[in-house]
Amino acid sequence: MQPRRQPPPAPRPRGNCPGAPLLALLLLLVLRGAAAAPAGPQDPRRPQDAGLSRGLLQQAARAALHFLNFRAGSPSALRALAAVQEGRASVNPKEGCKVDLVFSTERYNSEEGEEHLGNCSARVFFKTQKPRPAINVTCTRLLGKRKRQQEDYLLYKQMKQLKTPVDVVSIPDSHGHIDPSLKPIWDLAFLGSSYVMWEKTTQFLHYYLAQLTSVKQWKTDDDEIDFDYTVLLHEFSTQEIIPCRIHLVWYPGKPLKVKYHCQELQTPEEASGTEEG
Amino acid sequence: MRWILFFGALIGTSICGREKFFGDQVFRINARNGDEISKLSQLVNSDNFKLNVWQSPSTFGRPVDVLVPSVSLQLVKSFLASQGLNYSVTIEDLQGLLDNEDEEMQHNEGQERSGNNFNYGAYHSLEAIYREMDSIAADFPDLASRVRIGHSFENRPLYVLKFSTREGERRPAIWLNAGIHSREWISQATAIWTARKIVSDYQKYPAITSILERMDIFLLPVANPDGYVYSQTKNRFWRKTRSLNPGSPCIGTDANRNWNASFAGKGASDNPCSEVYHGPHPNSEVEVKSVVDFIQKHGNFKCFIDLHSYSQLLLYPYGYTVKKAPDADELDVVAKRAAKALASLSGTEYQVGPTATTIYPASGSSPDWAYDNGIKYAFTFELRDTGHYGFLLPASQIIPTAEETWLGLRTIMEHVRDHLY
Repeated sequence: MQPRRQPPPAPRPRGNCPGAPLLALLLLLVLRGAAAAPAGPQDPRRPQDAGLSRGLLQQAARAALHFLNFRAGSPSALRALAAVQEGRASVNPKEGCKVDLVFSTERYNSEEGEEHLGNCSARVFFKTQKPRPAINVTCTRLLGKRKRQQEDYLLYKQMKQLKTPVDVVSIPDSHGHIDPSLKPIWDLAFLGSSYVMWEKTTQFLHYYLAQLTSVKQWKTDDDEIDFDYTVLLHEFSTQEIIPCRIHLVWYPGKPLKVKYHCQELQTPEEASGTEEG
Repeated sequence: MRWILFFGALIGTSICGREKFFGDQVFRINARNGDEISKLSQLVNSDNFKLNVWQSPSTFGRPVDVLVPSVSLQLVKSFLASQGLNYSVTIEDLQGLLDNEDEEMQHNEGQERSGNNFNYGAYHSLEAIYREMDSIAADFPDLASRVRIGHSFENRPLYVLKFSTREGERRPAIWLNAGIHSREWISQATAIWTARKIVSDYQKYPAITSILERMDIFLLPVANPDGYVYSQTKNRFWRKTRSLNPGSPCIGTDANRNWNASFAGKGASDNPCSEVYHGPHPNSEVEVKSVVDFIQKHGNFKCFIDLHSYSQLLLYPYGYTVKKAPDADELDVVAKRAAKALASLSGTEYQVGPTATTIYPASGSSPDWAYDNGIKYAFTFELRDTGHYGFLLPASQIIPTAEETWLGLRTIMEHVRDHLY
């Protein structure tokens, strides 16, 4: 069995699963206790494989989580990755990478000392042809349905009370501070960004929401929240900062509607981060 | 006189054994003559009241401060009144006062650790960091000195703090590197905190004292000053240096892809517009060359640690290949021990492993260069957090991060001390 090798991250790797290009390769890697657990045990037989497949499982977990957050459409029920428990992957250079995995999650906005872990199992298909990973994921509940609806509605009311136009320079600011009154905006921005990050995550690239840089529009006069904004996504492992313009419409309990456009290509002016404005 | 001396004795073992002082009060009692003093001594000596003398006068006529436990308040008041002793209540609730003081102390601990009001729990300008380095050297001239090892592309000084307990010797040394990627602000902040920690703890705590008795420590808190200033003034997410790239409108080189260790290999880019652009050739960046030259000239470094953010990882060579480093097993043991020590403070979990497989392949990185140049104990810390705030780590997390990281650093340095080669 050949160990998988990752292609270099720059300039911009496409979503191909590598493998011996001439052979149809079926690689089954079973890894227990992998990934995010500290000092997790390495497979003694194939330490390199263990490392590479641990990375793949984490990629899959991230993709699954973004999709989960988007589909739940609930800014108060956002989840973050706790740890990957176990998983296996099969690679087919023509079709792509299929990953089955089990991972645990915690609340994105966990209170101090709060320890609520949810468990998820997912199948993530990083397709060669289509850029966006296909995901099936089910999780145990972190929040009761009623509680989630209540909290969503609370957030919704807070949002409706914000004075428009919303004066947003950067959230968080350079020192990591978020004004408590603007926290609901951040949560909603993160929810919309989850859709974007789901679509962009591959087996090599993953993302974090770095900052909300501007609000073009914040409309709450209708029932729905109409939110047009730009964020910066931090891309691993290229280390690029990618501006994305996102337009979402949200109402508690209803599916989230998202449209977006990210600055994909590096033009010289935009490279290495953008200037103000 | 003897009465007064007698008063000086601290009675009240019952007080000393207690931990809380709810409702306890402090009375200031004025004994105006010998007769009153003898009555006071009666009171104080009596086991029934369980008093504790705080302030006993050395000369006649000065007031006596006495701690009165809450259970004895009524009795003592009655006694004083019956004896005609004059008194006032100076502290009405000792526990309340202690609680406030505690709070204030904790607040101040978060605020400053130095005399000139440098707040370690905040992010600072380059000038402020350089000033504080100077201040540390001035406060501890026998231990610390600020050394200029070169300059940046835009001609800013590169300052290192040297911690050494023996001059004139080129002892085995440790290099602590920070801020090579300018947007990773927790790195510079942790470094300057660590500088103050080293000087504060020397000769107070055995571990750092014994480390410094055997080795020197060199700390570079801002390895990329141009980038740092730019991230403070123009673009918070600036990562690279600010050197010009001839023929390209894009500025800067990734200083941590510019070292001579499989230069221009995997995990780096030859595109000047890329965040991981490796530069035209190894050590093209003056910031990198200055460190390389210094370390090579010194010739006796045993440990190189590079601080970054974010991801909560503790990494060792290699980044440029997935092949196992010859010392990987030992480095893994040390790293795991360090991660465990770090986690012991607040439960912050770090993953441990070789760079290429734990984070991603990266060629031309500083720890790989150090390792391939005989510096066996080469590590990278990716500090807090795991993506929630990322680079924008709230200032409130600076000190907790620095404190836990210190435990990890110390663990590594202890191992180096015990395994000098």
